Amino acid sequence: MEGFYSAVSLVVVVPLIGMLINLFFGKKLGEKGAGFIAVSASAFAFVVALILWATLVDQHYEPAIVNAPLIHSWISIPSAGIDIPWQFRVDTLSVTMMLVVTGVGTLIHIYATGYMHGDERFPRFFVYLNLFLVFMLILVTGNNLLVMFVGWEGVGLCSFLLIGFWFDKPGKHPTEGTVGWANSNAARKAFIVNRIGDFGLLMGIFLTFWTFGTLDYYKPHEVIHLEHDEAPPPVFAVEGAEGEHAGEEAAHVESGSEIHGIFTQAELWFEEGNHKVTFGSIDLDFDAVITLITLFFLLGATGKSAQIPLFVWLPDAMAGPTPVSALIHAATMVTAGIYMMVRSNSFFYNSDLTSFVVTIIGISTALAAGFMALGQWDIKKVLAYSTVSQLGFMVAAVGLGAYAAAMFHLVTHAFFKALLFLGSGSVIHAMEHGHHHAHEHGHDEHGDEHDEHAEHETHEEHETHTHHDDHEFDPQDMRNMGGLRHKMGLTYLTYLVGGLALAGIFPFAGFWSKDEIIADAFTVGFDEGELKGYLAIAVLLAAAAMTAFYTWRQICLVFFGKPRTAAAEHAPESSALMTTPLAILAIGTFLIGFIINAPKGFPLFGWLFGEHRFTLFLEESVIHAHAGSFNWFMAILATGIALAMIGIADSIYRKPMPIPMEKDPLETGQYQPLFALSNAKLYWDEAYFKYIVYPFQGAARFLANTIDWDFWHNFFHDRIIGQGFQGAADVISQPIDRQVVDKGFMSLATGVLAAGSRLRKTQTGYVRTYALSLMMGALLVIVIILLPTLRDLLGI
Amino acid sequence: MFSTPTFDELNIWAALPMMALAFGTCILLVADLFIPKDKKVYTAVLAGIGLGVSLLIALLQASGVEIGDKSTAFEGIFVVDQFTHVVNVISLMAGIIGIMVSYDYLERTGTERGEFYTLILFSTLGAMLMGSSRNLVMIFIALELLSIPLYILSGFRRPMLESEESAMKYFLLGAFSSGFLVYGIALIYGATGSFELVNVWQTAVDILEGEGAGQFTLLIGIAMVLIALGFKVGAVPFHMWQPDVYQGAPTPVTAFMSVTAKTGGFAAMLRVLVTGLAVVSASQGKAIDVWQDSVQVIAVLTLILGNFVAITQTDLKRMLAYSSIAHGGYILIAIAAGGTFGVGDSSAQAALVYLMAYTFTNIGAFAVVIALERNERNTITLNDTKGLAQHSPLLAAAMTIFMLSLTGVPLTAGFIGKFFVFKAALEANLEVLAVIGVLGSVVSAYYYLRIIVNMYMIEGDAHPVADKQPLALRSALWLTAMGTLILGILPYIMTDLARDVTLAIVGR
Amino acid sequence: MEITWQTIAFAAFAVMTLGGGLMVVISRNLWHSALFLMLSFFGTSGLFVLLVAPFLAAVQVLVYIGAIAILVLFAIMLTRRMMGLEETQNTQWPAAAAVAVILFIILVITVSPLVDEKAVTDIFGDKVANFNANLPVDPDAKDSGVVANQDLNIVTVEAIGEALVTRDGFVLPFELASILLTAALIGAIVVAREDEA
Repeated sequence: MEGFYSAVSLVVVVPLIGMLINLFFGKKLGEKGAGFIAVSASAFAFVVALILWATLVDQHYEPAIVNAPLIHSWISIPSAGIDIPWQFRVDTLSVTMMLVVTGVGTLIHIYATGYMHGDERFPRFFVYLNLFLVFMLILVTGNNLLVMFVGWEGVGLCSFLLIGFWFDKPGKHPTEGTVGWANSNAARKAFIVNRIGDFGLLMGIFLTFWTFGTLDYYKPHEVIHLEHDEAPPPVFAVEGAEGEHAGEEAAHVESGSEIHGIFTQAELWFEEGNHKVTFGSIDLDFDAVITLITLFFLLGATGKSAQIPLFVWLPDAMAGPTPVSALIHAATMVTAGIYMMVRSNSFFYNSDLTSFVVTIIGISTALAAGFMALGQWDIKKVLAYSTVSQLGFMVAAVGLGAYAAAMFHLVTHAFFKALLFLGSGSVIHAMEHGHHHAHEHGHDEHGDEHDEHAEHETHEEHETHTHHDDHEFDPQDMRNMGGLRHKMGLTYLTYLVGGLALAGIFPFAGFWSKDEIIADAFTVGFDEGELKGYLAIAVLLAAAAMTAFYTWRQICLVFFGKPRTAAAEHAPESSALMTTPLAILAIGTFLIGFIINAPKGFPLFGWLFGEHRFTLFLEESVIHAHAGSFNWFMAILATGIALAMIGIADSIYRKPMPIPMEKDPLETGQYQPLFALSNAKLYWDEAYFKYIVYPFQGAARFLANTIDWDFWHNFFHDRIIGQGFQGAADVISQPIDRQVVDKGFMSLATGVLAAGSRLRKTQTGYVRTYALSLMMGALLVIVIILLPTLRDLLGI
Repeated sequence: MFSTPTFDELNIWAALPMMALAFGTCILLVADLFIPKDKKVYTAVLAGIGLGVSLLIALLQASGVEIGDKSTAFEGIFVVDQFTHVVNVISLMAGIIGIMVSYDYLERTGTERGEFYTLILFSTLGAMLMGSSRNLVMIFIALELLSIPLYILSGFRRPMLESEESAMKYFLLGAFSSGFLVYGIALIYGATGSFELVNVWQTAVDILEGEGAGQFTLLIGIAMVLIALGFKVGAVPFHMWQPDVYQGAPTPVTAFMSVTAKTGGFAAMLRVLVTGLAVVSASQGKAIDVWQDSVQVIAVLTLILGNFVAITQTDLKRMLAYSSIAHGGYILIAIAAGGTFGVGDSSAQAALVYLMAYTFTNIGAFAVVIALERNERNTITLNDTKGLAQHSPLLAAAMTIFMLSLTGVPLTAGFIGKFFVFKAALEANLEVLAVIGVLGSVVSAYYYLRIIVNMYMIEGDAHPVADKQPLALRSALWLTAMGTLILGILPYIMTDLARDVTLAIVGR
Repeated sequence: MEITWQTIAFAAFAVMTLGGGLMVVISRNLWHSALFLMLSFFGTSGLFVLLVAPFLAAVQVLVYIGAIAILVLFAIMLTRRMMGLEETQNTQWPAAAAVAVILFIILVITVSPLVDEKAVTDIFGDKVANFNANLPVDPDAKDSGVVANQDLNIVTVEAIGEALVTRDGFVLPFELASILLTAALIGAIVVAREDEA
């Protein structure tokens, strides 16, 4: 059975092969072929992940390290002390992530073959999607931070490509009217914001390397080590070495066996207590260095997992096709930050300051994003802010030291949020079709609109949904929906399951995982008396209340009431390709919470399905994971709050809305300011633009226009040199001038001026400016080089 | 009176790549006379063969095959070590790809003359010699051999005004900076009594420890050499020629020059600074900082100006010129790291790895510009890249690879280069420099990414550039794009070559 | 400092060199500038003679005066427009002059060991003079103010020739210089040739 560990390279390689096939032959294969290849690649990877899981169980959860084929000695310069091999790590944490990524991924692949049907870039979409799988799996399988970083950047790239996938789709706002700008801007925003986070992660990696001299999580001798295509490393190989080098190599073995991976080493140093790390002339306490590293890691996580202050890209990222939102921006990629922090739990657990900061960031994100979700009109935007908020729950759990709870919520969230996104995609898809249908058959409820767009419509065939749709009708706006319950039964049912799970209603998945986080917060607060625990309870309960509210608001607006537009009136149920994954995910969402991790002390379920199985599973690789106990008080309180909020939302939104609907019921009453604030997303983006983006652009412009051009060329060259020195020039040159050339002072001055203006026109004139700059640079270098000596000389 | 040395005594075989190239160039010069005007493709092929043979020998040497038996040739004036081999490989690759991207361009613009290839070969030879010399006189001659052909090549597109103007500017300022180099060499000789870098090092240790005299003389000599080489690699504030020249010169020449001049300049800089002047007090095992501060200041200025001004450019060639300035800044980070005791070798390795990555990526990026210029237009603005992905998906894909690599995204060669550079900086305790470097690459993401956005996400004005490029140009695009990717995914190809590079005399 | 014929000759050549150089810069007429340049070159070759470097002196006359300066004169004559040009378009020369002066001062300090030590002490104080003393120059020669001492080998044509071709000499740079000249020659042809097209 041991041999099955090495199958882990297949998890990465198979989607890669799928991607390559679609890249080169996608167009020839056509929709069916390309879709089949992509889905089977993903499904195969899922099967491999299952095999790995079985192997782990069989091997008593013993982690293993597997050398990657071909590129094993990835970056290696022995003389410079760099050795960063490409190794896979198979342990319970990475296998959990693999199962989520490939499992949910496969369902979304299947769904996407239905959703993207008729798109002109169908094969390209699946190339990107498989490529994303490759990178995401590299991210979770790697055994060192640099491999993880490769995946980290790779998924960022795929996210960028997929957000901007419909770059030719027109923007929603009149200001974004030009073709393509809205979506490509969203893609660019995501990428650039993520670069800020990546910068943090990279700095963290550099610091880690500096501190530990390696980037490997664990060294091969700390776990089962499996060869792939190379002889074993010297640690094992030279045990009985003979000959003249024997002594030397024996020494090597001894020192080699003492090298630990970063996490083992960190635990050892924490136990030791007084380890110092040398940075040039400064010695820092190990604690302080770890705090610094974890803070940098946190910055990375806030980028990728969309936390305050870097969450702004995720809502905009909804510009991408809906399967992308489900897979990348809800279920998998955005959880990379959580995975990274859980993976580094040895670091985070031991740094109190960072843990506190992590908690604060998590809970404030959960609250702020929950609030922003209350006032959105776009069906996907609501889900986007909900995702940010739920990620905040997970980050808070990490901060509270509840690593198992964070991972548990990550898994359940992957299910129910993927379900909700796919459900929303089904709704959007239906709305688009309903819109076309209504216009084809002359249902003229919006007469003016119809006339205006009749021309557009004739160009477009009914079947293909090219996304060059008209500007005014927004199939994602919930105001245009209503009453879909009767039109799309299956979508409605599954959406209801997802919504209840999100709201944390018993016995759906969200209930178990969210309550575990809140119970852990309770333990940290009331049992251990830590401030972050009290804060977390209060804020997370408030966030959970908002979650229930906006979830129910959405379900009411979309599915209840009467259809508010012709499109909603004619919305058809989606094809089986799309609804089957919905059904599977809904069943999963219903079951997964109590099946894999029923809490201790919960009647019946614990006895039926085993207590804390998932947590125990994780404990094998996450050192500081621990199972909390079920907290009846908090569970009932949280569920009570959620039910109450659903009731309130029901009373507001379950009644008939005006047609056409323009305002929210809350927008007219005394809550109008609050709603406006939520609808405007707390003016977060505006603030960023005002205080960061514009000043940054200004600085760039300043450097280019003012420093380089105005100052250097115009001011320095023309003003200072041309005019400022002109007086001096005249004075100095006058006596010499009279002797050599019989010209007067005035004519020289005018000559200089005329030449100056001529000079500005001819580029050639600038050569001497260049030469002068060279001379001044020379002076600068000489002065810097002489400075120490001169200082020495003058005794300063 | 004196005996004529034999080939073996001179160990001439160790210098075989250079010898082969020099010989090949001379043959090409004569052969070109017999090649009719409309068949200049043969000259190009011959030149390619000459470079190829030399590259083959250089690769053999780099991979450990010993040709010739000592580590030096010509009585120590010529060094044969791993550094030489790697610089040879880089320069020759640049030469070959340079010729590949040139042929069609010359034919199209009617500037097809056999001398073009001869000059490219001469310049390549100069760059190779700059890396293989441990003697200041040799370095000067090699620098001139590198530069003079480049001056001419910049003006090759006569009678186009911009081309002639750029040649003139380059020549005047280049001559000016050569003056600095000669003066610097003279002063170093005056202080230490030797041109030989190892001897210079020995004497310099004494001088700077206060035992010898002539401290000022030596220091100013160093400064002058630094200035001249800084000019060659386009470091700020000696960079002002670069945007004008890169923009004005024929694009293949820009592509070739952007790599070869930097390779030669940095190779010489590493030899001079790390071998000759990394002055170390043997007794204390500590470096006396001579040039590290100034290189740091230059590196910071270069990074900031290059990256920020590139943001505002609208002309693609000019943007690439500023970007190329910025990349020089990264290599300068590596070189500055070499000023710290014990980091000399890592610094040289990092610089070489960066140069290798940069060679493929940058020539590739310019090759895309050449392909775009086939519409008979001379200036390619950023707007011209709009919608490129739609009519020429392959070209756009290649450009994407290059832009990502220039940004330093993992799985491209550029990332590996940056990784080693920042690592060297951290080893040398130059954390601030590393941070500025990282921030610089964040800024650079802005303007590189803009091109990708333009290509893929914005509708173009429809100036269709077919994917169907001439064979040579197409192969060059494939070669550079694949090279950029393969070196990024399998970086050990580069790191294996660079790992045995040793430059520092002490403190390994 | 005793006055010998050497001192007088040195003064004369120095005036020639510096004065010529200065006039090159300030003369408003390019033609005159070129002539002054020849004068300056001539002064330099005189200085070489005083330094007991007859070969260098000869080369200076042959190459710089005989070839380069004449070339410059030809160039000026051929571009007729420049002959009559009497006003320069240079507005930045004061800045350039300032930079040049600063560089000059630095360089004077640099080469000061070749100058009378006492003079340096007078101007810059003790430390600087001591600091830069003891360059590899014969200490006896210092008093004369001019480095012309007997221990230095008098460089003959033969010695130079030998240095250029012996294997522990400069044989490789010498060969390379010929390649360099070939490259420059080709360049000149490319630049000068009429376009056949």
